[in-house]
Amino acid sequence: MNARIMQTPPTTTVPVLRLPRGPDGLSRGFAPDGRRAPLKPVVPEIPESQESRESQEQRARATLRERYLRSLLAMVGRQVSFTLHEGVHVTAHFGATDLDVANFYVSQLQTPIGVQAEALLRCSDIVSYTFKP
Amino acid sequence: MAMRQTPLTCSGHTRPVVDLAFSGITPYGYFLISACKDGKPMLRQGDTGDWIGTFLGHKGAVWGATLNKDATKAATAAADFTAKVWDAVSGDELMTLAHKHIVKTVDFTQDSNYLLTGGQDKLLRIYDLNKPEADPKEISGHTSGIKKALWCSEDKQILSADDKTVRLWDHATMTEVKSLNFNMSVSSMEYIPEGEILVITYGRSIAFHSAVSLDPIKSFEAPATINSASLHPEKEFLVAGGEDFKLYKYDYNSGEELESYKGHFGPIHCVRFSPDGELYASGSEDGTLRLWQTVVGKTYGLWKCVLPEEDSGDLAKPKISFPETAEEELEEIASENSDSIDSSTPEVKA
Repeated sequence: MNARIMQTPPTTTVPVLRLPRGPDGLSRGFAPDGRRAPLKPVVPEIPESQESRESQEQRARATLRERYLRSLLAMVGRQVSFTLHEGVHVTAHFGATDLDVANFYVSQLQTPIGVQAEALLRCSDIVSYTFKP
Repeated sequence: MAMRQTPLTCSGHTRPVVDLAFSGITPYGYFLISACKDGKPMLRQGDTGDWIGTFLGHKGAVWGATLNKDATKAATAAADFTAKVWDAVSGDELMTLAHKHIVKTVDFTQDSNYLLTGGQDKLLRIYDLNKPEADPKEISGHTSGIKKALWCSEDKQILSADDKTVRLWDHATMTEVKSLNFNMSVSSMEYIPEGEILVITYGRSIAFHSAVSLDPIKSFEAPATINSASLHPEKEFLVAGGEDFKLYKYDYNSGEELESYKGHFGPIHCVRFSPDGELYASGSEDGTLRLWQTVVGKTYGLWKCVLPEEDSGDLAKPKISFPETAEEELEEIASENSDSIDSSTPEVKA
């Protein structure tokens, strides 16, 4: 029997990526060419009144989907570390996924019982994966 | 799982920070302006606190600062007897509006066409920003220096606070509609358009009134003299800070004190929620601005979420942080591997 108990970790402070940037001490700042950089790529603007909430949502979904697909492309040929259930870790070279991203085709899969030249990892078995671009 | 709040300190000012304001949410994010006794108001990116620029030109302490809704213009009120209007994108000074005494407060209308000012000369002034040479319209009536003046009710009315009164004026007729009297000095005022709520602080009290009728809604008492308070956009919380250097967070509905934070090294002069309610900013006598998370531990801005660890180790803990340029980097690598994805048919539901 292996009951998974959630330990209450000691109170820690929220991690931060970095501190806010301060003045450069040299100039008064502001955009060099007098223009701000938009947060997202410029899309042809549809006035909000015309664009329904639904199509706004759909655009957001499309953007997120595109980002995910690009991340998969970026992984091709790289070494990826997979965390599977029961705390199992494996690494492999990522090849491709199928259309529904149900399976990952990998090669040189390092498993606790040896190296598998080619393998299919079921996505339902994967908790998380990570790679360095 | 209890996580301790990590405030983000924005340094740069050399004297007390006496006022701060957020813009609305724009396609470029939202922005924050801070007024400082060093005479150099600063513009920062609202969600990270990153410095963008410093508005140079005032010759005295800047007592009030504000941004228009889309953060294209800034206005400042200073001890050099002027209010200035700035281009918030380039940092250039657009207008200097001469007054007869220290100017303490500035506020844009929703359409940015008019600027309201108030100060020690006890007059409210309305400037038409499309006709800067024209004389402003003046409203008199206050008997002590004006500390804060705000447009309300879709710019049809004006709220102004001096030492002991808060007054409501009709814009069209320029006459007083109603006033509230206080025994103690009014330290701050905030106007919440959705719900027409006015937040007033005086002594240790944080009071909420209707902005339309000035009728009281409710009030809370803090453990120390409060200098400024702000109500969360969804009206679930309020935050307040004052003379004991601490920030307090209360449940707006029950009045229960939820959290309190030490961090500043001097009294807190101003505190405001961001327009999305995800963080609040505080300005202090210690010369710093600090950003605080509304929900401690949430991934937002520079704060990074850490998922709970399970016994077998960090299963889903993100090991790589994704900087803003990640998308471009991924695109570069992806294009090495294949042809670009046709992104013109967003039919696939993610």
